[in-house]
Amino acid sequence: MTAKQGRNIAFSALVLIAAAIWIFPLYWALTTSLRSENRIVSDAGVWIDELNFSAYIEVLSTSKLPIWYLNSVGTSLIITVIVLITGMMCAYALSQLRFPGRRLLYLVVVASFMVPVPALYVAQFVLMSDLGLVNSWWGIILPQLIVPVVVIVYKQFFDAIPKEMREAVLLDGGGEFTLLFKLYLPLNWGITAALAIITFISAWNNFFWPFLVVTSESMMTIPVGITQVNDSFGVFYARMMALALLAAAPVIIGYLIFQKRVTEAVMISAGVKG
Amino acid sequence: MEDTGVHLRGVTKDFGAVQVIRGVDIDIERGQFAVFVGPSGCGKSTLLRMIAGLEETSGGKIIISDRDVTDFDPADRGVAMVFQSYALYPHLSVFENMAFSLRLAKRPKAEVKDKVVEAAQILQLTDHLDKKPSQLSGGQRQRVAIGRAIVRDPDVFLFDEPLSNLDAELRVAMRLELARLHQKLGATMIYVTHDQVEAMTLADVIFVLQGGYVQQSGAPLDLYDDPSNRFVAGFIGSPSMNFFNATVEDRTDTGIRARLEGQPDVAFDVDLTAPPDPGATVVLGMRPEHLVVTEGEGMRVTVDVAEELGGVSYQHGTLDGGDPVIFQQTGARHNMHGTVQTVTPQTDRIFAFTPEGDRIR
Ligand SMILES: Nc1ncnc2c1ncn2[C@@H]1O[C@H](COP(=O)(O)OP(=O)(O)O)[C@@H](O)[C@H]1O
Ligand SMILES: [Mg+2]
Repeated sequence: MTAKQGRNIAFSALVLIAAAIWIFPLYWALTTSLRSENRIVSDAGVWIDELNFSAYIEVLSTSKLPIWYLNSVGTSLIITVIVLITGMMCAYALSQLRFPGRRLLYLVVVASFMVPVPALYVAQFVLMSDLGLVNSWWGIILPQLIVPVVVIVYKQFFDAIPKEMREAVLLDGGGEFTLLFKLYLPLNWGITAALAIITFISAWNNFFWPFLVVTSESMMTIPVGITQVNDSFGVFYARMMALALLAAAPVIIGYLIFQKRVTEAVMISAGVKG
Repeated sequence: MEDTGVHLRGVTKDFGAVQVIRGVDIDIERGQFAVFVGPSGCGKSTLLRMIAGLEETSGGKIIISDRDVTDFDPADRGVAMVFQSYALYPHLSVFENMAFSLRLAKRPKAEVKDKVVEAAQILQLTDHLDKKPSQLSGGQRQRVAIGRAIVRDPDVFLFDEPLSNLDAELRVAMRLELARLHQKLGATMIYVTHDQVEAMTLADVIFVLQGGYVQQSGAPLDLYDDPSNRFVAGFIGSPSMNFFNATVEDRTDTGIRARLEGQPDVAFDVDLTAPPDPGATVVLGMRPEHLVVTEGEGMRVTVDVAEELGGVSYQHGTLDGGDPVIFQQTGARHNMHGTVQTVTPQTDRIFAFTPEGDRIR
């Protein structure tokens, strides 16, 4: 065995151990959700020794999980679509159009990137409340539409497209919309997919804002809904874990499908936030 | 008769405080192949982009096909441009690249297909229509860029150094192809290059740009035979013309007799209709191809580098007084490196300039 092979094996072992540590809570949630409530508190072991689906049945029949799903999917999708369209157009203007105040506007976008979102919650809550949007989809959506990182990433990619390509389109008879939708966007499908994924995931995972702006159970998103179960069931671990797994399932499945893109997306946003 | 040429009247261009184009008048007739030539940074591209409408005009007028297009959008001027970088749309096939303008103009599908296929035939791209630009060679990309211009059927084709990204061999081949294309299409073409060989071989009419002005315009051989100033004389012709300072010794019946400052034992007669006064300083210009080796008398040149090209060779050296000299040798095979040669210009092949660079005729 050469030194290099040795190093590879050691490295693989390290990664395996890290992966095992990381996956353990997930595994624990799974075993817990498959037991009866009584056994969890009396003699719970590490291995899966019982396939009891009563927690799942209970959760699906008594909680509003399907509605929470719908709320999560609906608001996250709308947020993603609007954030991408507005972010793309804003970035295009900042990158390609020449108008007074352009640099200042870009500085404002970059500066807003420095503001921690929770710092705005009180102001946003008052605003939503004044607009009568508490307990509504739009109340959940509107404050989440401000995503400067999308503008910044798009602008960087738009800046990199050669000027002559733009001029070729102008000579071919295209205007700004042609430029954006037939040149700049098609050249950036990859980044668009990546940005869509990170925007969707962060909207899906957002807990605190929907938790603040929604009080009615039928308007809750999944992360908020989980806490609700906790309250009304007392401490029923199997049901909590079953609900948590059901909530996470779409994201996990989505991740498995778009694995490469998600990694890319995280790296791009990390590069900007870096 | 309708005049479909390109005309510039007093055109200027400022970039902030810097005036890059300082007042240019240009007349290009319909169907001519015009070349803007000049050293890098002299404003050739800027002028071409102003004609295309990609750069605003600071002053003056641009007239294309009898229309004052100075304030028109690029697409409305009847021009098409081929960029140095080709600027193909990387996400579209060759076919769609060429069809782009027609699709934007919402032309019927059949017409789009006919026009693209026809252009592809002219440019030998028929087998490549489904490929992406990244799958093509440099020369093929170049042709797609030209095809994109052809399908628009413009009044004027604009080329900005289209061959400079190709290797030397392909450059010569494409140069010929462009000349053929011009004959075939009969359209007006304006071509920008810093390479005077390209200019000489392609042009019907050359405009030499320098310092924001057109220094001289005319047919290639007119510029070569009769340059109107020292800049044009030095720029047109390869290798460049030799220049020597000289003093007017005397007037003759037909012009002047001028003595070289670098080598006072040599003097030449130059025919001039407006000879300067005796004692004045002049600059004599002689092309390398007009210097003949003469045994024993003439300008003494110490050869330090010999460029052998086979048919001809260029001998680089210095005159007694230190002025650099290049002269051309045809057929001679013996190595002149390190030797002292005497050369004499052919009669009537000496140009005279003022120290400021104006031609004395
Ligand atoms: N957008 C611009 N802003 C400022 N200066 C420019 C701009 N474009 C070109 N220039 C300047 O104008 C001069 C001529 O440029 P250009 O037309 O590209 O020269 P050429 O094509 O003859 O090499 C150069 O000195 C260049 O720096
Ligand atoms: Mg240029």
